[in-house]
Amino acid sequence: MTAVITPPAANPRTPVKRAGRRGGIAPPWLFAAPALVVYALVMLYPSIVGAGSAFTDWSGVGEQRSFVGLDNFQQLVKDDQALGALRNTLLLTLAIVVVQNGLGLLLALGVHTTIKSRMVLRVIFFAPVVVSPVMVSFLWKYVYNPAPDAGLNAVLNAVGLGSLRQDWLGNPSLAIWSVAFTVIWQCAGYSMVIFLAGLEGVPKELHESAMVDGAGTVARFRHITWPLLAPAVTINVMLSTVGGLTLFTQIIAMTNGGPGYATDTLSTVLYKQAFVYGKFGYSTAVALVLAIFVAAVSFIQIAYLRARETSA
Amino acid sequence: MASEIIRTPVSRRRLLQLMGGVAAAGALANCGGGNSSGNSGGPLKVIGAGSQEAGLRKALDEYKKQNGSFEFNLSFSPADQLQTALRAQLAAGNAPDLHAVYPGNGSAMSMVQLSKANLLADLSDQAWTQKIPAGFKGAYQQDGKTHIFSPGTSVLGAIYNKLAFAKAGVEIPTTWSELLTVCDTLKKKGIVPLALGAQTPWVTQLINYALVPGTVYAKQPDFDDKMAAGSATFAGSGWADAMNKYLELQKRGFFNDNPNGTTYEQATSMVGTGKAAMAVQVSAVLQAYRAAAPSPDDLGMFPLPATDVAADNWIPGGIVVGLSVSAKSKKADEARKFIEFCGQPAQINAWAEAVACVPLYSEGEAKVDPVLKPFLPYLSGDKAVPFMDQRWPNAEVQPTHFAVVQELLGGKTTVDKALKKMDDAYKKTA
Repeated sequence: MTAVITPPAANPRTPVKRAGRRGGIAPPWLFAAPALVVYALVMLYPSIVGAGSAFTDWSGVGEQRSFVGLDNFQQLVKDDQALGALRNTLLLTLAIVVVQNGLGLLLALGVHTTIKSRMVLRVIFFAPVVVSPVMVSFLWKYVYNPAPDAGLNAVLNAVGLGSLRQDWLGNPSLAIWSVAFTVIWQCAGYSMVIFLAGLEGVPKELHESAMVDGAGTVARFRHITWPLLAPAVTINVMLSTVGGLTLFTQIIAMTNGGPGYATDTLSTVLYKQAFVYGKFGYSTAVALVLAIFVAAVSFIQIAYLRARETSA
Repeated sequence: MASEIIRTPVSRRRLLQLMGGVAAAGALANCGGGNSSGNSGGPLKVIGAGSQEAGLRKALDEYKKQNGSFEFNLSFSPADQLQTALRAQLAAGNAPDLHAVYPGNGSAMSMVQLSKANLLADLSDQAWTQKIPAGFKGAYQQDGKTHIFSPGTSVLGAIYNKLAFAKAGVEIPTTWSELLTVCDTLKKKGIVPLALGAQTPWVTQLINYALVPGTVYAKQPDFDDKMAAGSATFAGSGWADAMNKYLELQKRGFFNDNPNGTTYEQATSMVGTGKAAMAVQVSAVLQAYRAAAPSPDDLGMFPLPATDVAADNWIPGGIVVGLSVSAKSKKADEARKFIEFCGQPAQINAWAEAVACVPLYSEGEAKVDPVLKPFLPYLSGDKAVPFMDQRWPNAEVQPTHFAVVQELLGGKTTVDKALKKMDDAYKKTA
């Protein structure tokens, strides 16, 4: 006997009373109120006040400030350092999004198996994620020591690849990729965990029936796993994009934006403008543009990836 | 019952009242918390520059010995963090009572920039301010008022390892050509002639600073005034000669491999251990070099010759990072008393000796670190030029200088383009 639980039919002529209509506030808003107050105090208020600074020439200290209209934004368009930083930011983001997620997916597929050491491997691959980015940066700064008898160069020497020794962080053409590699090394495990969660949600029955139909590993990945991983892809791409566009800690700790301006990103430029050059107003203009840019990119990505999820 | 409680609505007015109360409480807590300047009780809060630690500690300990009830809370900040941590505190209005400030102008934490924002107390009525030599007044004073205490002058030259020099059989060079010959001999003996940790931004400027007194100021002592008046530029001046000499040292292989990837600490270790023979540095970091050497006596210092004309070889000698009293400090009187104590001849001498600098003034013969003796004739002979950034009009020129030197060393720009960038930064408003 199958028990069917039927919910009581709603009377279409009896409208559901909403608390708001009686002049009060619905309970959900009450529960959210404390968090909203804190959010308003620590996020909204400083952000709005800070945004106002973008239209002034404030140095960051003292009371002297004048309204300069859109001057800071006009200067931004002509600022070679900021434009170079934008280029670096986009390059870093592209490298991080593609390689980190590609590597994360491969790692997830690798440890989503029945091999005995899979749990240990998962822990090893995820371990860098829980280490502070500053610590990771200093660790890799040691690895990237340019001396021939230290760090990565020493390893290359030891395995007979001494000709590949590099000034990893001091070569202006190479430094940005050295930083990108460090970020990817640290964060690939994070992407792996999200992909792993997605893989756990793929029904085994689908794979089994596809195998019965003669589908190989690649065909099953392409037609079953990949479409069903769409939500995990959305989350990973979103998080790595935002992380790449706002990358700061590793750059400051490893290269301080150098050599020259070779690894400056929009985040390091706005930091330097505020704290090194003493141009808080201009720095806020850069921050405002960065925030709008990140929001726009995120919005477009979500729209595209959600549509892909639906079609999948 | 529970559902009844949950469904009981709260009026919008009541909720807004609650939110307003929480917001006000938060704002009040924010205003009241951690404002050391606004707190007249507790110890005097002091943040010093890391390079001045030995001298400042000595002065505070001596002051406490003489004033038993004096309490202080002391911390130090490395040069690059002064810009961030202290500026953030200054901006928030909770700066420490006494804090590190760079003399002159040219940095976001410089005396001129901060005094313009009315953030530094006036120290002009203190006795020691009368002893400031005319040539150094720009480092201490803005609009005729003294806003900073500094124990004296740090010189810039080559710190060298005596054992490495002895091993290569070379003597201290007195001209540019001799310097090149010495470097060549050291290189042939397998010793790195000059350690350069150019990954640390402030280190990048030092070789230029050591050379331009000879290539620029010996010929045009009023170069800074001409720059300020707009009748001189970096491009087309002796700065180009200095930068070309900097690059010549690199092209001849006189630096360690990959200077852009080498840090200040690594360069320090190279000289201390004798792997490298020299490093161009300020005397204020002598203690760090001595700590890296088996014996402090292994190290000496000499003026870096910039030209082949001995008379043109001037030296850079700048007032070291000092201390200022926060204009908003509620303990300003106590802080000012401490500064007045520091300004006494015995204290200035003790501080200067601890950080290897030449005291601002002295009664009788000053106690100077023996390794600085080669520099003293230049200081007394008016052949010393303040560190160049102390006369630059804004905080952008110096970091631009750092960046263009790294680009030059990385082969990413030319001397002409580098100097044009510095000129562009110089022309920006303060």
